Amino acid sequence: MADAVTAMAQLKEAYGASVTELSPINGTPRLRVKKDDVPQVAHYLHTNPNLRGALSLLWAVDHRPRETRYEVCYLFTLSERKDWLLLCTDLQGDERLFGSITPHIHAAKWYEREIRDMFGLIPVGHPDMRRLVRHEHWPKGSHPLKKDFRWDTVLERAQGQYAFRQIEGEGVFEVPVGPIHAGIIEPGHFRFSVAGEPIMQLELHHFWTHRGVEKLFEQQELTAAVSLAERVSGDTTVGHSLAYCQAVESLLHLEIPRRGRYLRSLFLELERLHNHLGDVGAICNDTAYALPHAHSSRMKEQVMQLNDRLTGSRFLRGVNRVGGVGIDPTSTQLTQVVAELDGIEPDFSELERILFANASLTDRLETTGVLTERTAWDHAVMGVVGRASGVDRDIRRDHPFAAYDELPPKAVLYRYGDVRARMRVRMDEIHESIRLIREIKHRIPQGPILTLPTEVPVQGTWAFSAVEGWRGEIIYVVMAGEAGQIHRCKVRDPSFVNWPAIQWAVLGNIIPDFPLINKSFNLSYAGNDL
Amino acid sequence: MFRILKKSLKTGVVTGRHPAAAPADEAPTSEARDKATPFRSSLAFRAVDTGSCNACEMEMNALANPVYDIERFGVHIVASPRHADALVVTGPVTVNMERALKDVYKQTPDPKIVIALGDCAINCGMFKGSYAVTGPVDRHIPVDVRIPGCPPRPAEILKSLSELRDRKP
Repeated sequence: MADAVTAMAQLKEAYGASVTELSPINGTPRLRVKKDDVPQVAHYLHTNPNLRGALSLLWAVDHRPRETRYEVCYLFTLSERKDWLLLCTDLQGDERLFGSITPHIHAAKWYEREIRDMFGLIPVGHPDMRRLVRHEHWPKGSHPLKKDFRWDTVLERAQGQYAFRQIEGEGVFEVPVGPIHAGIIEPGHFRFSVAGEPIMQLELHHFWTHRGVEKLFEQQELTAAVSLAERVSGDTTVGHSLAYCQAVESLLHLEIPRRGRYLRSLFLELERLHNHLGDVGAICNDTAYALPHAHSSRMKEQVMQLNDRLTGSRFLRGVNRVGGVGIDPTSTQLTQVVAELDGIEPDFSELERILFANASLTDRLETTGVLTERTAWDHAVMGVVGRASGVDRDIRRDHPFAAYDELPPKAVLYRYGDVRARMRVRMDEIHESIRLIREIKHRIPQGPILTLPTEVPVQGTWAFSAVEGWRGEIIYVVMAGEAGQIHRCKVRDPSFVNWPAIQWAVLGNIIPDFPLINKSFNLSYAGNDL
Repeated sequence: MFRILKKSLKTGVVTGRHPAAAPADEAPTSEARDKATPFRSSLAFRAVDTGSCNACEMEMNALANPVYDIERFGVHIVASPRHADALVVTGPVTVNMERALKDVYKQTPDPKIVIALGDCAINCGMFKGSYAVTGPVDRHIPVDVRIPGCPPRPAEILKSLSELRDRKP
């Protein structure tokens, strides 16, 4: 099967005149495609049986004031060897139109709507041109990521209402839920169309917590924005800050000391552990089975207190720095971490046995909220949700970062795609994380933990990095601006990709099962809304 | 059944197994204490996220776990503002959430108190000035109690809530 270099050759052969090769970014081959040919080339890349490229990221850059052009970039992951391939295209001068790839590639749907909202560029041929990020009361023509839009603009209020898709017929009614939910969770709006009990259609209306994160990045210096990355999605502090740091480090050509890389893996696994522990209990709690919730939230609390003792923050804030990590645990501390986890693992295994012995729980979880392998592929679903639906992707294994080249993780894979599969992925990953942490403790080398940056990156250069956070792939694209400032920072939490897929997973299920399905996805609203 | 019992007996009581809270920067004002008088023995609060990063929500959820077990102090987390005595607001108020916050405030029956939880709710934190943020919570609704931190630890939230309802001023 094709690796990125042969894929590129194949594309050049098929579309000779319309593609040109550019210098690679982070070792990833890059092609410039003529603007009008992008939909064709992307379609070929997506459907050719040799290539089968899944869209991983789609973003735009406003190059002003240096050049009057916009650039739209597409990052594909080739399905067999998981190699990346970049396509870029330019919109020169006053051009505002680009061809939509959504009619061929479903995964591009939200990305293109986002680009339209944030840059005012129009994806021609997109089947759904409603606003996404900017709610209807935002004034016309406000496109926050355009360079002539000031970051501290005070927005006027306009009038308008979001047009939900409606199903009409006898006995069909709509159930609106949110933005403020019954539990302590973030805001989002769900609009169900039901006939009797089964859900016929679910439509999401999100982006309530849009805080302008990407624009705020552009006001910061490259080396100073780590704390903003930590607050993109609070539960994924390490994942986001690590992805950001790695992107900046490859811009600055920094080599991270080995001990620093091991510690990064340690913190990332601790974060995965406390979130997964909490999720397993929360899924049970949504079937009104409170006992596992009590036990697992107790274990989660144990890990968070451990984080606090180790780093001074329950969420591991302030751990990652550009160039390495800021905290160096002693070997006694590492021994204590492993000792604590040695207690948690049998504790959790006992809980697992209790859960699997419970027939009424299994009855609620099995065949509920099935996301089929085909739908998962169409939406390029990733992370825990993907691995429960047979999408065998794990950045830790496919593109090793931190210390994962020396500590290969076993990727967990289930194919049923129901709530139980998603819970089992989490359970297996808990054991795997504990194994990795033991391994880290065993193999961690001595030495420095931080390399200080010495150079300032060349204006206009950019880099991207991917991290397997506990939800899935987090991708950051960072472009250097003037004098060490950030010109553009694209943040992509896995939630942004997985949210649309939930609309398919709930079809045919009953509304009382929706909280359960939603919990088994457990997606971030803040990381999605930015 | 035997397995479940064994697990519960083996685990024992974990309530209160957490580090003590750091001394609070500011004690609740006497006006806030007066307003909280009706809720001394029972307080039902409703959480409203107006743009937080989810860390404050996780710490509030932690309050309900067996280690902090907030219900033993008569504090309940309720599902609707109409059942609430207090609103706990987290996050800077985003342009998109502004109207929802005002609506929720109107829906909460009087007398009520408003608690701004976390630095973002108090002063917008890192998101201050952004085009998508309209300002801290007290720009839109009156705030009685402020619990700073990014995010505040559950023990600190517990302490603030108990100080608020303390009988002795």
